[in-house]
Amino acid sequence: MAPNKRQLAMVMDLNKCIGCQTCTIACKRLWTRDEGMEYMWWNSVNTQPGRGTPRDWEQMGGGFRDGHARPGRMPTRRDFGEAWEFNHEEVFFGGKGAKAHLKVQGEEPDWGPNWDEDQGAGEYPNAYYFYLPRICNHCTHPACLEACPRKAIVKRQEDGIVLVDEDRCRGYRFCMEACPYKKIYFNQAAKVAQKCIFCFPRIEQGVANACARQCPGRVRFLGYRDDHEAPIWKLVDQWKVALPLHPDYETEPNVFYVPPLAPPRYDEKGELDESQPRIPNEYLISLFGPVVLDALEVLKAEMAKTRGGGKSELMDLLIAYRWKEMFGGFDRDPATIEWTKA
Amino acid sequence: MQAPYLPNSGVDTLLDPGAPAWGSVPREQLKLEGTPLGLQPSSAIRSRWMERKIGNIDRVEVAAAHDGRDLAFRLEWDDATENGQASDSDQFPDAAAVLLPTVPGASIVTMGGPGGAVNAWYWRADADGGRHVVAEGIGSSRTLDGEWVRGRGIWKAGRWQVVIARALRIDTPEPVAQLEPGQKTGLAIAVWDGANGERAGIKAYSGPTWRDLVLDAMPAGRRS
Ligand code: SF4
Ligand code: SF4
Repeated sequence: MAPNKRQLAMVMDLNKCIGCQTCTIACKRLWTRDEGMEYMWWNSVNTQPGRGTPRDWEQMGGGFRDGHARPGRMPTRRDFGEAWEFNHEEVFFGGKGAKAHLKVQGEEPDWGPNWDEDQGAGEYPNAYYFYLPRICNHCTHPACLEACPRKAIVKRQEDGIVLVDEDRCRGYRFCMEACPYKKIYFNQAAKVAQKCIFCFPRIEQGVANACARQCPGRVRFLGYRDDHEAPIWKLVDQWKVALPLHPDYETEPNVFYVPPLAPPRYDEKGELDESQPRIPNEYLISLFGPVVLDALEVLKAEMAKTRGGGKSELMDLLIAYRWKEMFGGFDRDPATIEWTKA
Repeated sequence: MQAPYLPNSGVDTLLDPGAPAWGSVPREQLKLEGTPLGLQPSSAIRSRWMERKIGNIDRVEVAAAHDGRDLAFRLEWDDATENGQASDSDQFPDAAAVLLPTVPGASIVTMGGPGGAVNAWYWRADADGGRHVVAEGIGSSRTLDGEWVRGRGIWKAGRWQVVIARALRIDTPEPVAQLEPGQKTGLAIAVWDGANGERAGIKAYSGPTWRDLVLDAMPAGRRS
């Protein structure tokens, strides 16, 4: 595979994500409304620590270890969570007033895509959690692409977006086993694999991804990896505060995360105890590797600067005062475009 | 193996694996083996199947017959579970295919090669009919347009009975097998056990060498 010329990337600031799922719904409404896509959430947001979506995906293998493919498990629709049917008709139009309540129809579910929301870990008053939004990482070394015997997955030369060619796909699903992030879904109706397309039809018109543009938390930065004027390069390469999730999977993701800081702990007397972090370092290391501690140190030092009345270019960048500047030039208003259905 | 000439059996009759016409056709047992791990085309597939058995179905009973227009294969094999329509992503359908060379010496293990296509007549338990496939190397297979290949399967008491058929000659510029009565060609068989997660190159097949397939000639004076 010839290396792609440029690479689009996203940075998500976990300190700002409020778990509102606006991104999830923006994506759902735009891309996964057809038959066979009911259970797909190309964008998902889960509470960490938690089992994630699909359930326990971090234990499913895939990706690479020391450069060799690591066997991966097939995520099932049960693992992702079925698309539940509700009794909307009865509740809204049944004339039963307060006697009818929304209920999942059919079998009582025991799992869903956001099942363990806000559970987190730790004991009161030192409980902790944070939200982790995930999309396909449009990896530099995509395990999905390398697994496919039909070369049905392509990485675009011009921007590194990873796409499934549905005409070539035969529904073999080796990609689903191989992707360590479990971000590929099988469409049972169309019998092909489907995944996040990084909103390429928007990108091609200069419009940011729906998940990024719709985010009320100003969590998501977008742009080319090599654009030194834009936030991505500054956060990833200059400040080194944005890190890939699970670099140990060796697929070299192009989605990066600013790791979460947490409020300090309380000791037994109810006093603030700054001697150890509320979110255990080991946990963050398990997600982002040991460099996460360096990133947190940089964030703390820069925060301290502003607390002291000073200025921090990094903090200004992360606060994202100017919304449009988050998108590396992809800031066109989609309402100015006339979209046609192919 | 010999494909006898059955003048009065249209392909519609032969598509029924239980048709009495099949009673007179000799059946041959073919041993199947798993495709070699080393030839699986990606390291992810190889790592996933390193410690798993490839090719769960170890034998298939094959019969073939033609009526001067169409050639039909009847395959029968033991499979304890019927895997048809899948309801989740970890489920795969049972399937079978007949492989024919389009040039002498086309390679089976590599699914043909550039300029040396192989032609598969493919049936799958989750779809009606069949697929007409050409391949010129691993991962290159293409399903051709047109409903040339017909297939029908019945699963009964732990056994699949499947018929796959196609016209002897078809009008296409694609590199497919063009056959005629009296001809001798090669034949290979593949069977996929869905319950074992078999799909693509993960299958049982009749081995790397072509079996003989001889189509009985038609008596002089008969025209197809
Ligand atoms: S996250 Fe998974 S699906 Fe996306 S490019 Fe990486 S390996 Fe492929
Ligand atoms: S829209 Fe933004 S704040 Fe809301 S869940 Fe998504 S990333 Fe987090």
